[in-house]
Amino acid sequence: MHQAIPYSYKTYFPTTIGLSRDTSTTTTTTTSVADATNVGKLVSENAVIVFGRRGCCMCHVVKRLLQGLGVNPTVSEVDDQDEAAVINQVLKINGVDQESGGQDGSSVQFPVVFVGGKLFGGLERVMATHISGELVPILKEAGALWL
Amino acid sequence: MNTTSAQFVTTRRIGVYEPIHQISTWGENFKSNSNLNTSSSLILEDTKLDNQSEDASHGTMAPSNQYDQEASKPADKVLRRLAQNREAARKSRLRKKAYVQQLETSRLKLIQLEQELERARHQGLYMAGGLDASHLGFPGTVNSGITAFEMEYGHWMEEQNKQIGDLRTALNAHISDVELRMLVENGLEHYTKFFRMKGSAASADVFYVMSGMWKTSAERFFSWIGGFRPSDLLKVLLPQLDPMTEQQLMEVYNLQQSCQQAEDALTQGMEKLTLTLAETVAAGRLVEDSYLPHVASAMDKLESLVGFVNQADHLRQEALQQMYRILTVRQAARGLLALGEYFQRLRALSSLWATRPREPA
Repeated sequence: MHQAIPYSYKTYFPTTIGLSRDTSTTTTTTTSVADATNVGKLVSENAVIVFGRRGCCMCHVVKRLLQGLGVNPTVSEVDDQDEAAVINQVLKINGVDQESGGQDGSSVQFPVVFVGGKLFGGLERVMATHISGELVPILKEAGALWL
Repeated sequence: MNTTSAQFVTTRRIGVYEPIHQISTWGENFKSNSNLNTSSSLILEDTKLDNQSEDASHGTMAPSNQYDQEASKPADKVLRRLAQNREAARKSRLRKKAYVQQLETSRLKLIQLEQELERARHQGLYMAGGLDASHLGFPGTVNSGITAFEMEYGHWMEEQNKQIGDLRTALNAHISDVELRMLVENGLEHYTKFFRMKGSAASADVFYVMSGMWKTSAERFFSWIGGFRPSDLLKVLLPQLDPMTEQQLMEVYNLQQSCQQAEDALTQGMEKLTLTLAETVAAGRLVEDSYLPHVASAMDKLESLVGFVNQADHLRQEALQQMYRILTVRQAARGLLALGEYFQRLRALSSLWATRPREPA
């Protein structure tokens, strides 16, 4: 026997505006929230971690790119009010690590990626190293990729 | 009109039935192009007149020759046929020469018109605030950043065409590798300059850049985030770079893969942005509220569009640089030349398509 089921648009369209590609995260990334207190912890605990503003689309790009390579990046979302504090922490970590490469500490912008506990850079650096073929070896060395 | 008059005059002049096959074939060729008909018929007239004056003496003497002809028929006929063939062949060659000259001038004219049209169209288009606005006749605001870009683009395109010509000449002339390297690096630097220009334009009006408003229609068709898609371009250029070593082939293949992955990531980011922007615009009660409740949020999202254009251009830049690392100087020169030629062809295709003859409504 059929029961009357109230249908709403949500039954047919899981996302509010129908897009064939699922843009919500159904992937295996771990998401967490970062604020001024746990940045250092997150960086040291994860082979690859991406800090980005909540809902930022560039962050999404970095995540997708890394996932496409077979990496399981941790994505850490930062609330607007914590942004400045988190960036400070990021710079501090970078400052302590003298061998972290030629990063100009004053120009850190979200999204920012840490690989193997060290500041790697933003989307631009990820793209550039990926195109030149340098990214994959770096990820392997950090233990983010096998094979 | 051509063929019939040719037939008519020929019969009159020679005085016997002769195959007018050769003349009619050239006439058939001309019928398809109405432009050429007028001048080629002029040429035809000239040669006809020439032959008329030449053969005038033969014509008047025709009657008295008739008896002689009957006596030495075969030899005369053969000689006459040979002479007529020579004539027909000569006329044919002259017509062909005229035809080719016509084609050359038409081609040059086409290129000039094309460039003029591009410049005029973009100035006219942007002064009216964009393609849609000009359709509706709205006077839009003039964006100085964009007008500056369009002017610069005109200059850039002129320089680009010159560089492509130089590359072609250089490759054919077999200049030294050192000189060739200079040309290649100039070419790459020229593209870098173009990406810088686009960056400024994106800050002035990101929609303009995203829609590729400065491009011709065919170029715009292939556009991805305001420019070319690197992986597609690599596929197009690959066959032009033969022969390559196995090492190079592998590296180019890897580059193609990397570009594809980067493009996919950017595309997915764009889709997310599109979705969230649409949600932001639609937020609140659409029916009840007549204003945009989350203006600040929507504006923020539009700002990130600029970031996408910049990242896409950065990707294009990196792909070009990587190709330069993989290829030899000569291959890189061929690659740059092929790239330039490809876009020139797209632009030519746009013009041809826009000016193709259509059925009257």
